[in-house]
Amino acid sequence: MMAVERSSRSAPSVGTGRSITAGVLMGVGVAAFIDETVFHQLLHWHHFYDKSTAEIGLVSDGFFHAGGWLAMVVGLFLFADLQRRRATVPRRVWAGGLIGWGGFQLYDGLIQHKVFGLHQIRYEVDLTVYDLAWNISGAVGLIAGVVLLAGRARPVSAR
Amino acid sequence: MNHSGEVGGGPGSGFWILNLLLIAAAGYAVGVLRLSARGVHWPVTRSVCAAAGLCCMAIAVLPPPPATGFSGHVVGHLLMAMLAPMLLALSAPITLALRTTPAKVRRVLLSVLHSQLSRSAMTAPVVLVLNVSGAYVYYLTPLYDIAHRQPWVQGVAHLHMFLAGCLFSWFLIGRDPLTKRPPVRTRLIVLLLAAASHDFLAKTLYAQQLPAAAGTPDEIQMGAQIMYYGGTTIEILFAILVMTSWYQRSGRQLARERRQRLRTATQVG
Repeated sequence: MMAVERSSRSAPSVGTGRSITAGVLMGVGVAAFIDETVFHQLLHWHHFYDKSTAEIGLVSDGFFHAGGWLAMVVGLFLFADLQRRRATVPRRVWAGGLIGWGGFQLYDGLIQHKVFGLHQIRYEVDLTVYDLAWNISGAVGLIAGVVLLAGRARPVSAR
Repeated sequence: MNHSGEVGGGPGSGFWILNLLLIAAAGYAVGVLRLSARGVHWPVTRSVCAAAGLCCMAIAVLPPPPATGFSGHVVGHLLMAMLAPMLLALSAPITLALRTTPAKVRRVLLSVLHSQLSRSAMTAPVVLVLNVSGAYVYYLTPLYDIAHRQPWVQGVAHLHMFLAGCLFSWFLIGRDPLTKRPPVRTRLIVLLLAAASHDFLAKTLYAQQLPAAAGTPDEIQMGAQIMYYGGTTIEILFAILVMTSWYQRSGRQLARERRQRLRTATQVG
């Protein structure tokens, strides 16, 4: 039985790539989830739509809304599969998660809010502080993720 | 706006569709009873899904309360084109029919299923185009207005949306052995594209106050938001169902591999 455990743990079929993928998907999902629940539904800072939105903004919004929850669902299932195979590499999951979260936050803050003018973070206030906080937090997440990715990480199975 | 012709067509058309639904329910029940008489187990969840799917259809074909306006129409649309087809796909009615109908019927059914037409209908581009185009044409052209004046146009439009929804559902999560099952990646891409189109449509209705015949701007905005969030909810269910079947299948694969390794390990040891 011990031999079986060991051989299944060192199965080469699952590398660290899957941990990164699962992490990125979950990171994107978390960013989308926070955006939707906290800023749209709870605070009502974001608007469903503001009158300045162009067609391209709606297309982008459709893909990001749909992509956000789809990423969450797929990411969670991939993570469950990794756990089942005892092949999770926590460091890589965190790296992917931070990259996914930061990247989504930056895309939302720079492209969707500013370039496409889909909606703003908040209305009837000076936006500068909000925009800076939004985009800097995204950038910090992204950089932290890349730093983690560059570091060494051993798969669980090798421990 | 005439709400009595909201779905189907003319007074009494809902009645006929309800009768059809009752016949479908009876047929399903007879099939399950025949199987159990033979001692074959048919999962209860499938029967529950069939009943729930038919109930959704029944609610959708009944005219919504006049006070609900466009929102009532949108709820009917979500039930008929998305939720009912999803539940019906989970109920595996074709499998049940193949196992319980006489040989003659079965042969006809199989020849239809294996025909070139149904093979080519079950491909990603066809599924997507049929599913997305129906709603776009219905809500963004004057068709919505025409359909509310001409009952038969409404009937054809709803039949198209229901059938396209069924094709979509069977493609993503169907339990019936139709043709080769599309890979999970293809299914997820189809779901993403369909969901993004649905979001885009709902926000366009909200932004441009369409369909113009649907009522006041407030009513349209309410309906569009129901379409957006209701559609998202059902699409998340689709995603969970697609991934659940993937998880179960790869779990069985994993168990097989482990058994195999156990065998070789014991042989070596």
